[in-house]
Amino acid sequence: MPVFKTPFNGYAVKFSPFYEQRLAVATSQNFGILGNGRIHVIDLSPAGTIAEIAAYDTADGVYDVSWSESHDSLLIAAVADGSVKLYDLSLPPTSNPVRSLAEHTRETHSVDYNAVRRDSFLSSSWDDTIKLWTIDRPTSVRTFKEHAYCVYSAAWNPRHADVFASASGDCTARIWDVREPGSTMILPAHEFEILSCDWSKYDDAVIATSSVDKSIKVWDVRNYRIPVAVLNGHGYAVRKVKFSPHRASLIASCSYDMTVCLWDYMVEDSLIGRYDHHTEFAVGVDMSVLVEGLLASTGWDELVYVWQHGTDPRAP
Amino acid sequence: MATPPNPTDGNPQNPVPEAVKPTTDDQQDANKADAKETSIFVNTEPVREEQVQNAVKFLSHPKVKGSPVMYRRSFLERKGLTKEEIDEAFRRVPDESPSLSTTQPAVANQGGQSQPISNIQAQAPTQYQQPAAAAPAAPDSKLGTLTASRFHWSHALLAVGVLAISGAGTAVVFKNAVVPRLKSWIRKVVLEDGEEDLAKKTNTKPTLAEEAAAAAKAAAAAASDVARASQEMLVSKTEEKRYFGELMSLLDMQVQEMKSMSNSIKKLEGQSNIPGREVQVTSSRPSYANGSRADYDSRSVRSLSPPPASVEPPHPKSYMEIMAMVQRGERPPNIREINDLPPNPDQPVSNPRLAPKPKPWEAAQSQGSSTYPHENSNGLNSYGQDNGFGPSASVYQSNGDGSAPWWQQKNVRITEAEPEENKTSHPSERPVQRSSWVPPQPPPVAMAEAAAAIRQPKKSPFEKEQQLTDEQFLARSAEVTDELQRVTKLSESGGVSDIGGGSPVVTNTSEIQREEEGSYYEA
Repeated sequence: MPVFKTPFNGYAVKFSPFYEQRLAVATSQNFGILGNGRIHVIDLSPAGTIAEIAAYDTADGVYDVSWSESHDSLLIAAVADGSVKLYDLSLPPTSNPVRSLAEHTRETHSVDYNAVRRDSFLSSSWDDTIKLWTIDRPTSVRTFKEHAYCVYSAAWNPRHADVFASASGDCTARIWDVREPGSTMILPAHEFEILSCDWSKYDDAVIATSSVDKSIKVWDVRNYRIPVAVLNGHGYAVRKVKFSPHRASLIASCSYDMTVCLWDYMVEDSLIGRYDHHTEFAVGVDMSVLVEGLLASTGWDELVYVWQHGTDPRAP
Repeated sequence: MATPPNPTDGNPQNPVPEAVKPTTDDQQDANKADAKETSIFVNTEPVREEQVQNAVKFLSHPKVKGSPVMYRRSFLERKGLTKEEIDEAFRRVPDESPSLSTTQPAVANQGGQSQPISNIQAQAPTQYQQPAAAAPAAPDSKLGTLTASRFHWSHALLAVGVLAISGAGTAVVFKNAVVPRLKSWIRKVVLEDGEEDLAKKTNTKPTLAEEAAAAAKAAAAAASDVARASQEMLVSKTEEKRYFGELMSLLDMQVQEMKSMSNSIKKLEGQSNIPGREVQVTSSRPSYANGSRADYDSRSVRSLSPPPASVEPPHPKSYMEIMAMVQRGERPPNIREINDLPPNPDQPVSNPRLAPKPKPWEAAQSQGSSTYPHENSNGLNSYGQDNGFGPSASVYQSNGDGSAPWWQQKNVRITEAEPEENKTSHPSERPVQRSSWVPPQPPPVAMAEAAAAIRQPKKSPFEKEQQLTDEQFLARSAEVTDELQRVTKLSESGGVSDIGGGSPVVTNTSEIQREEEGSYYEA
């Protein structure tokens, strides 16, 4: 399995929705504390190696990256100086970034592109707000300000064009509808900070949240007082959670315990896979939409792994 | 599918908060029936009175009154209250203390403090403010001397009172002691001098009585003095308490101001690069010590039970070095100055070369339920491309060497050596539904034998072919035994009819078995 070494500490990795061999990686220097950042765009070759096809430097660390669902060459980056930057791969590097949207007053922690409408995306920030943007506008369309602390993650619902969820350090997750002025549901999901959330792709009312309390909880918004499942097994905070695009109840997660785990929340013994290939915090994980079972992860050990579920990521 | 209380065109969500209480049942039915018109992402719970009352109690607490509204809301949200319940509680709380509003202006005059903070002042010394609403306006120094002088006075009064009492007491005692002496002396005199003594006695009695009365009067006067003194002492004490309370509230105000100032400083610092981030890093990074924000009062509620994440995950050594460096104010040396602004902010974005692909869950959904419109058609229409899949497929094929790229091949080795991990070797082949343990299919040996029993010996090439195909069927899926039987039987019947005729079965069985065994070893 190929490995890609980044000069900085990895923060996020995302598969392209257009090209099954393409990924984008967000990295930050000095663990993201203080320093530059870089976005890598890498291609898998059939021979089993990884080649970098583009790299963009930023003044501040990059915490997240997201591919556009409408333009195959467009990337959105969440930068630690509070800006959201757009990069166009088909333009020469000197023309990039094509946009720098600077409205957040604190670090931008995540970006997510709307897979249904394909024209808008969200950014969530440590300034407690979430902003809605479209590619053609230089300013945000809406700002959602309700959380009492950093918003670590925002995720669009894969079936409903106007619904999204957010996970925050104020220990609540919120469901929003862009047609509404405020949040439509508040889930007091954990007793500690919630670092990530993701919707199920096959049941539009199911959402998973992961927290500093080392657990992942799966909720049904129709009956949100009690979780559908509580997935324990990580040794430290769970940094990212992702529902599989191919299997209804499959969840991938990565944690500060340096492992990437796979779960099936409908099963009694939910943990169905554990990969401990990273030697530092595993901070980013993604499952390919185009290739079933293909996983990618990155961490503070400056490595990006891409492997098929069931294989050893470190195998040559 | 119309839900009577809700207008379904335009914005169906607006009447939901008001309509929640009376129409919860309707809503829930509607939710189950038709998710399109009534969103399932909305709270349909009625307002719970118990929760609202608990919230009101919480909000009425004086300590809570001093905290910012945002933190009060956040606390209630974490406790599981819905927006409606929190709004209702906020609505109820200010109604309970009308007297506060009248004293607020008087208290606020002191230093122009903000409203919520004046609430603390107003509440603590409410009982003391009624007699002397104007007194707080007096300068403190004057009060100091007054109190000092009051002390002085009360001390003096006390001393005078004590003296008076003791004087009166001794006087009374003295009189009591003298009177019996006098009496005894008088008796002596009477005994000695008869009538003369009687006259003297009557003369001394009224004088004694007068003296006693005078003593009593003095004692009463002293007592009243003492009572007055103690009363004044009490008054001064209560006033003392009041001033002390005001002092405390002033101090609290100072502390609040300092806290808010430090908060704003932190925010300001957060915008600049160097010293800002590490301050926030400790509080907002994947932070395990949750109580690092000093002004977040409600965090104290959470820190009662030690967080499981208080055991920090071991950070790499270089991470700690960099943190220490940054906290000292040094800039790590490897940072470059980079200009990452767009060279042309109006640069038009290039046109997409590929049409968006349908997602795997959309494909499944369109085959299954049809409640949702085919939403990705919007994207396709906007690009006006119909050749979405042709060129993309060819692009991918050109990458490969004809065979599928390595990332598509599913190697089904078991990765973990840990015995307690519950992993299967064919995860990609499990069905989407609940993956219960499926018993392994019986090997097709039996079937192949049964099938081969009918076979002719001359059909060995066919047999081998068929047996090879049998192996392939087995390898692909373990569930299709019936299918396998059907297929082998069909192939057998086809084979038989082709060759035509057939030697009796008995003579061929041994040959067939031998051939079978051979073929098994081959395959």
